[in-house]
Amino acid sequence: MDQFRIKFLEEAADLLDDLEKILLELEKDGISTGSIEHIFRVMHTIKGSSSMFGFDVISEFTHHLETIYDLIRSGKMKVSKEILDATLVSVDHIRKLLTDENLSNPENISNHKSIGQTIKALIGAENIAKERIAFKEIQEHENSFFTYYILFKPTKDILIKGNNPLFLLSDLQDMGESKVLWHMQEIPDFIQLNPKECDICWEIFLACKESSSEVRDVFIFVEDQSELIIEELAKENLFIKKKFVEHLDNIPYKSPIIDLTDLKDFIQGLKEDESKQKKKKERSIENKTDKSIINKEGIISSIRVSSDKLDDLMNLVSELVTTQARLSLYANNNIAQNELSAIAENIEKISRQLRDNTFSICLIPIENMLTRFQRLIRDLSGQLDKKIIFLSEGTDTEIDKTIVEKLTDPLMHIFRNCIDHGIENKETRIEKGKPEEGTISFRAFYSGTNVHIEIKDDGGGINPAKIREKAISKGLIAPEIQLSEKEIIDLMFLPGFSTATHVTEVSGRGVGMDVVKRQINAIRGSVHIESVIDKGTTITLILPLTLSIIDGLLVQIHNTKYVIPLSVVDKCYEVKSENILNLFDNILDFEGGLIPFFNLREEFGIKMTPPEIQQVIIVKHNARKIGITVDYVIGEYQAVLKPLGKLYQNTDIMSGATILGDGSIALVMDTVQIVKKFSARNVI
Amino acid sequence: MKTILITDDSESIRELLSFTLENAGYKILSAVDGEDALKHLTGGEIDLVLTDLHMPKLDGIGLIKKIRAKPEYQFVPILFLTTESQTEKKEEAKAAGATGWIVKPFVPEKLLATISKIIR
Repeated sequence: MDQFRIKFLEEAADLLDDLEKILLELEKDGISTGSIEHIFRVMHTIKGSSSMFGFDVISEFTHHLETIYDLIRSGKMKVSKEILDATLVSVDHIRKLLTDENLSNPENISNHKSIGQTIKALIGAENIAKERIAFKEIQEHENSFFTYYILFKPTKDILIKGNNPLFLLSDLQDMGESKVLWHMQEIPDFIQLNPKECDICWEIFLACKESSSEVRDVFIFVEDQSELIIEELAKENLFIKKKFVEHLDNIPYKSPIIDLTDLKDFIQGLKEDESKQKKKKERSIENKTDKSIINKEGIISSIRVSSDKLDDLMNLVSELVTTQARLSLYANNNIAQNELSAIAENIEKISRQLRDNTFSICLIPIENMLTRFQRLIRDLSGQLDKKIIFLSEGTDTEIDKTIVEKLTDPLMHIFRNCIDHGIENKETRIEKGKPEEGTISFRAFYSGTNVHIEIKDDGGGINPAKIREKAISKGLIAPEIQLSEKEIIDLMFLPGFSTATHVTEVSGRGVGMDVVKRQINAIRGSVHIESVIDKGTTITLILPLTLSIIDGLLVQIHNTKYVIPLSVVDKCYEVKSENILNLFDNILDFEGGLIPFFNLREEFGIKMTPPEIQQVIIVKHNARKIGITVDYVIGEYQAVLKPLGKLYQNTDIMSGATILGDGSIALVMDTVQIVKKFSARNVI
Repeated sequence: MKTILITDDSESIRELLSFTLENAGYKILSAVDGEDALKHLTGGEIDLVLTDLHMPKLDGIGLIKKIRAKPEYQFVPILFLTTESQTEKKEEAKAAGATGWIVKPFVPEKLLATISKIIR
């Protein structure tokens, strides 16, 4: 830069000398247009060049002088003695600034101020305001996308001005994802065709992070010679939406220019569809004080399919998944065959999607069941003269249809118990300071791979003391046993238990929670009760999303593999085989607790020597923990559950089987049954 | 190699522009004002004309009009140098046939960026 500065300094000195000469001539001989032009040009040059070479102070100083002479030459101002004086003084000052460009000399500083003020005064306030000072908006944008619609219709002579529309399109395409539609309808016949003209116009869809003024900047040189429309379609990248891309792809070849309103409506429609989809997954609180749940979703088109067909479909899909696992295994073992791996990966992706899709076909929303319960509640509350408000939440939660079928009974029982034993009669409620109407609320939601169903009442709650009493009187527990409150409440799940002092017509024969528990366990779910006296009771059901897939732990005993459902697995410990064999009774000490266990090798009658180290898997059973020993724990495994054949229907300790990736079979253990069966022999 | 014709009455600006553009790989022709510039526009290949607006003899606007009147230079891109406070001049220059503009003062990067938008 230095050589240029030197050059500039030389040039500036020359210009100032020149200027001085003209000003003096002007004073003597009077104005001539030529001289004013000249002075203006010099000011302009000094202003422009000084800023180019770092002499910003000079540039600023000269700015107003330039304005004065611009106004004079356009006739808006007249030359006067004051102006000439001020200009001459300025010339001296600028000379000084050439050596003091940062304005550090105090004399220069004060001169700078005073001369500056004089000049400004000469211009007059309104003229200063007219000075256009362009400023650029500094756009601050976060990392967000916009999608724009751009209509670019250049005038015919755009090419003759040296502009190339294709460069502009290329610039746009560099900014982000885009789709360009061209329109050649205006191109005349070959005879009339003028190659110097541009007869094409373009519509561009662009998704980028830039603001619309930055997009407009691309067209800065041609804006006044073109029809240009830039519309923001969305504050997101619409190109990630399949439907949007399809819509654009489907625009026929020679269509006219898009109707922007139609397009905007279409995008709006897409957004609405999406938010509807979102809402279906979110919980919506519906506060109803009457019985009916109005379906707000409107009409969704659907067809009826017989359950048999669905079952067949499910079976085929499950087999596909199994076979695909084998393919993946094979591809892994033959990794040299690149194409095979790629194909296997693709098939895995597709089969997974197919499986997820098929499973979701078999899901139905819970709300279908609710009508029955509302009816029950209405009838019962009438019979027992209790006012009940029924609230429901999350009724669009979907569950496998087989589970839904098996839920009806236990839920009906639970509701009956609620109304009969839970909610107190009107007088008692008022006495307790509660509202006259009792409230029963039903809530369903997903949590992990389970569906939770919560039934809450604001009734009298469960009295642990009473339960304990009853359990003792029924001989279910010994009187001196100490139990936690939770364990006491869980006593309700024992068969033959009922606190109803009489069998009501409504509740039937002590609709024991044991029945409910059995029914829920049969669909691989679990029941939990929580209660606070006088406040109410909450019963929670935890159900698997589907019966045919189990998340399990794959283990091996001798040379057979088994799957233990993860839902019952608590922990896993390593134990030396000799420690197991040398015990008098089957109890091991783990982390400060004594846990009884089953030696499965023994139980299964495997006589061969066990490996040196075995694994003890602690499984939960009711509220207690039991260990079972296996040789190896292989890992987590998602098993597609298959029923055992007819011959094995009476096998109780295995709930089914699954086919592993290598084609072999693993049996799925039913730990509850195992515990039952083996504990009948061993005394725990 | 692309050829750029620079027209400016300020020697230091001419030199700065030459230096910057030559380093960027362009061939440079220089002129001190509009009349001088026309001497270079005699049929040889010019890919871009870069001109100041305020020059003696033939100023920027005049030069642009004359260039556009020549059939062999009808499509040549023309960029003019302008300061921010001169929007009327911009319109006049565009009307005369200019392609675009470069705002003074400019940093070399911006100059090169704008030029590369115009000639590729």
